[in-house]
Amino acid sequence: MSLDGPHSLTPDERDAVEELLFRMADDEYVAAERYIEWQIFAPTLESDLALSNIAQDEFGHARLWYDLLQDMGYSEQECIWERDPATWTHSTLVEQPFEEGDWADAILRSYLYDTAENLRMEALVDSSYPPIADRVAKVLAEERYHREHAQSWLERLTGGEHHEKVQAAVDRLFPYALTLFAAGPNEDAIVELGLRTENLDDLREEWLEIVVPFLESLDLTVPEPDEVALPEETGRDASHTDAWFDLYEDFTHTYNELELEEPIRLRGEG
Amino acid sequence: MDLDTVKERAGPRQFSPKDDMPQEYREAATRMIQFHANSEVMGGYLEKPFIRQAPSLDRKLAFSAKVQDEIGHAQLLYRAAESLGVKTRDEMLDELAEGKGKFLNCFHYPMKTWYEVPMIGFFVDGAAMRRQATLKSTSWEPYAHAMDKVCFEEGFHVKHGEDMLRELMTSSKANQERTQEAFEEWWPRVIQFFGPVNSQSTHHGFAAEVGLKTKSNDELRQAFLNTYIPKAERYGLEIPDTPEIIYHEDEGRYEVVEEDLDWDQFWTIAKNDYDGSYEQIGSRADRQEAVEWVREQMDSYETAHSGTAPQAAD
Repeated sequence: MSLDGPHSLTPDERDAVEELLFRMADDEYVAAERYIEWQIFAPTLESDLALSNIAQDEFGHARLWYDLLQDMGYSEQECIWERDPATWTHSTLVEQPFEEGDWADAILRSYLYDTAENLRMEALVDSSYPPIADRVAKVLAEERYHREHAQSWLERLTGGEHHEKVQAAVDRLFPYALTLFAAGPNEDAIVELGLRTENLDDLREEWLEIVVPFLESLDLTVPEPDEVALPEETGRDASHTDAWFDLYEDFTHTYNELELEEPIRLRGEG
Repeated sequence: MDLDTVKERAGPRQFSPKDDMPQEYREAATRMIQFHANSEVMGGYLEKPFIRQAPSLDRKLAFSAKVQDEIGHAQLLYRAAESLGVKTRDEMLDELAEGKGKFLNCFHYPMKTWYEVPMIGFFVDGAAMRRQATLKSTSWEPYAHAMDKVCFEEGFHVKHGEDMLRELMTSSKANQERTQEAFEEWWPRVIQFFGPVNSQSTHHGFAAEVGLKTKSNDELRQAFLNTYIPKAERYGLEIPDTPEIIYHEDEGRYEVVEEDLDWDQFWTIAKNDYDGSYEQIGSRADRQEAVEWVREQMDSYETAHSGTAPQAAD
């Protein structure tokens, strides 16, 4: 079964498509908004360049998905700048603040997130909504590189004097990472309509099968997933930690100060 | 090669690591390129907070890419400086963190608002473009080579900076006024970018003789004013009364009244002794220290894994 473009959806279909797109766009946008905190502050010039690339890739993906929402009638203002922060649906993993100098957090977060992102994109290759399926290949190629980048860093950061920093990041971030697979109100419809070809529980299982053995191979202790209590704020039901509201206020500050007619689009950006 | 031969042969891209250059040349070139590389890094410190402040998604992407380019330029330039064999990159980065490394005057002034962003992105970068374009014909080949890529990318940055200025100056009256205020604050600094008149410049003579510099500060300032005064006016900015700028219509050139500029502040900055110098350099030192553990870990990982499987390397 294949749905047509944005203009021939039934109201139920539309709700499901929107939920799927907002989850993806918000994840990418907020992840990138955090990564840019490392620009200029990364440990070396080379790592600075690599993390900047990743941040820009994620902003680019966010734009792909927000563009599809704009095809459904939303404006950029409604998607980002003037949207109530209490309606965003990114996972609370990506909104967590970094402690100064905590490169282990940045790398582990990217590993957990990008591994999940690879799986999510693979489950969208055959999406019944053609505008999504058409865009997956580009995203997938870039997410693979992000995961490899994080993996090679984790190998270097563990097993030495600073192993505990990585372990601390696992302990802190793992429960938040599980919110990547928390359902929103239209999850059943997303799967039934074939917008995503796998459900979140299956994606979670696949993710655990990759992430747990890899981290354990680096002598990291991973909490027993079924015994981990999900954080009270999952993000997927638009509940968020305080850090998100601070972040939102910060990145909309200048937008609000300038009161420009509309957020500018520039041509020629990849 | 002795110094007389160097001066005799001095010309665009004349010398490379294959040549046995005298110590005086290598030190002068290192000083110049290190200053340039440091400036790329410290410019990044100034601009970085504004990636988050960018008021549209496309702006944010372009601005993030710009800040990344500056780090890329620093990487290229430190490599070009290292090729002179005087200092390693780590030594130069340490000097920067310790407050010994010198960098452009404009990057000693922290920015507070978005209205200041095009002052760097258009005027300072525009001034830098002028200078960098002439360095494509500097005598140290690795430096000239780095300039090819740097100038190509800077061209995009200046265009983006100009677009940010245009956006502000075609928006509300309040935005236009605040942009004008930022311009008045930055304009004297931008003019001082080109340093004092030739007679006061310590290093120009030698650098020109050996072909490291191909244009004097006066020539560069002139070319900048000829282009950027009309541009500023076209966007509705008013050129401040101080410093006084006299237009010589018969010669088609501008003259800056030097005494109107604050040279005490300029020389304080040149010694890294201005309030903003401490703020910017201190911020860099703190940030570098916070990730020192990562660099240590990379070193010990390298040590532990080198030699075990040399065949598998690369």
